[in-house]
Amino acid sequence: MRVRTLCVGLLGGWLSMPALAVDSAYDWLRRLADAQRSTSYVGDFVYQRNGAFSTHSIWQRVEDGATTERVLQLDGPAVEVVRVDGRLVCATDAPAASAQSAKTWRDKRLDPEDLSKWYELRVIGDSRVAGRDSVALAILPRDQHRYGFELHVDRETGLPLKSLMLDEHGQLLERFQYTRLEPGQVAASELKASDDCLRVTEASAEQKEATGWHSDWLPDGFRLLQSSSRTSDVSGQPVTWLVYGDGLARFSVFIEPLGGEVVQDARSQMGPTVAVSKRITAPGGDVMVTVVGEIPLGTAERIALSMRPKQDAQN
Amino acid sequence: MSREALHESLSAVMDNEADELEIRRVLAGCSDAETRATWARYQLARAAMHKEPVFPKLDIASAVSAALADEEVPVAARKRTGWQAVGRLAVAASVTVAVLAGVRLYNQNEAVGPQMAQQAVQPAPASIAVPQTTQGPAMLAGYSEGKVAAPVEPAAQGGEGWHEKRLPEYVRKHAQQAAFGGGSEGALPYARAASMDENN
Repeated sequence: MRVRTLCVGLLGGWLSMPALAVDSAYDWLRRLADAQRSTSYVGDFVYQRNGAFSTHSIWQRVEDGATTERVLQLDGPAVEVVRVDGRLVCATDAPAASAQSAKTWRDKRLDPEDLSKWYELRVIGDSRVAGRDSVALAILPRDQHRYGFELHVDRETGLPLKSLMLDEHGQLLERFQYTRLEPGQVAASELKASDDCLRVTEASAEQKEATGWHSDWLPDGFRLLQSSSRTSDVSGQPVTWLVYGDGLARFSVFIEPLGGEVVQDARSQMGPTVAVSKRITAPGGDVMVTVVGEIPLGTAERIALSMRPKQDAQN
Repeated sequence: MSREALHESLSAVMDNEADELEIRRVLAGCSDAETRATWARYQLARAAMHKEPVFPKLDIASAVSAALADEEVPVAARKRTGWQAVGRLAVAASVTVAVLAGVRLYNQNEAVGPQMAQQAVQPAPASIAVPQTTQGPAMLAGYSEGKVAAPVEPAAQGGEGWHEKRLPEYVRKHAQQAAFGGGSEGALPYARAASMDENN
């Protein structure tokens, strides 16, 4: 019965406290950031959110400082991607290629010092994931504008074995969890993509910086990471796309002119990802502002309502 | 399912550690008197440990069964009209809500979880709102209701079709940008993007 395990667990936790104190959550997160780039491994993981469950295999090979990574979905469509040093080389899904921008933030990495301004970082104990000893970390938001995480890091390699995203009530929004992880040399042949994996070419330069819009209000810590303006493949309208992040959570803002159409506001939630659309009045005609991201609904609504056209913009 | 596993799940529900699957397992296994007795014992033990007041005879499952038994059985000879069918559905739905609310109450959580709240949200693009309400107890690997592929709406319809046409593209762009746009953050953003992109 669980009550007895709880007592044993408490006692064990108390006895191992001095050992835990040596490794701070900061150290583990720093180790994690390094391990993700420097470790060769093979593994299987599952991804689960409300309405979706999928299993994947992953191969990562680090050689001469270059990191090659191949991920293959094991159930349903055989979705496959290969990345070299974070850059997409091939994907079974052609549109994925268009997501890659000319600029990359290769230098932008998980920074525990920076994160600790917006999240409380804590070691919560020992755990075991995929048959491996791991340490459980809590990444708790300091305000209501972002979600918390429970992160289990492999003691031997520092790789993330399990990541749970939790809402403000502690409800599980998303689970990412390895079921098998084998660090060690990986043969180059394992990283060879199948013939269905389409080569990705450099994104064309058609997208330009978008300067016409800004946000009146942002939750603390969120910064503009990218802005672009391009013609939508779906509607043929020019869509402004702004991407913001706090180092962990991200959201996108899409601004599309309505051209006089009468459209209701909308909102929906797909597991951890919320989408909120609000109609905003602008000098050049009404626009629909859509905020999509892994942030709470209320925060997304407030951001959507805070978007403003810049005074000097032509639009 | 083994009795031991059921008790383990029961204990997890009590400790507020159960995932959705476990709660469903417990709800499915709660039909017999023995399990309910175990539940009551755990409840008592927990109350004692936390110095909480004890409600010895709070047995929602029995109450629900009784409510169902009292429900009028339609006469077989009479053809059931559409409204009666709806009425029965409504009773079934309210029973589900009662059971779920009961579990939440036991968990001393907020009485209504976010999933429940989602259902009250306006049904914006139906294709995306659906997953909130119909998550089956047994999920198949590769199963995904989060299809972002929306049926093509006639342009003249304007209003409703507007979001259904654009939202899947927005969501996909956002997810893929996180996965591929900037520095590699491991496989998680990729897996999230793949789950949004079931229309291939």
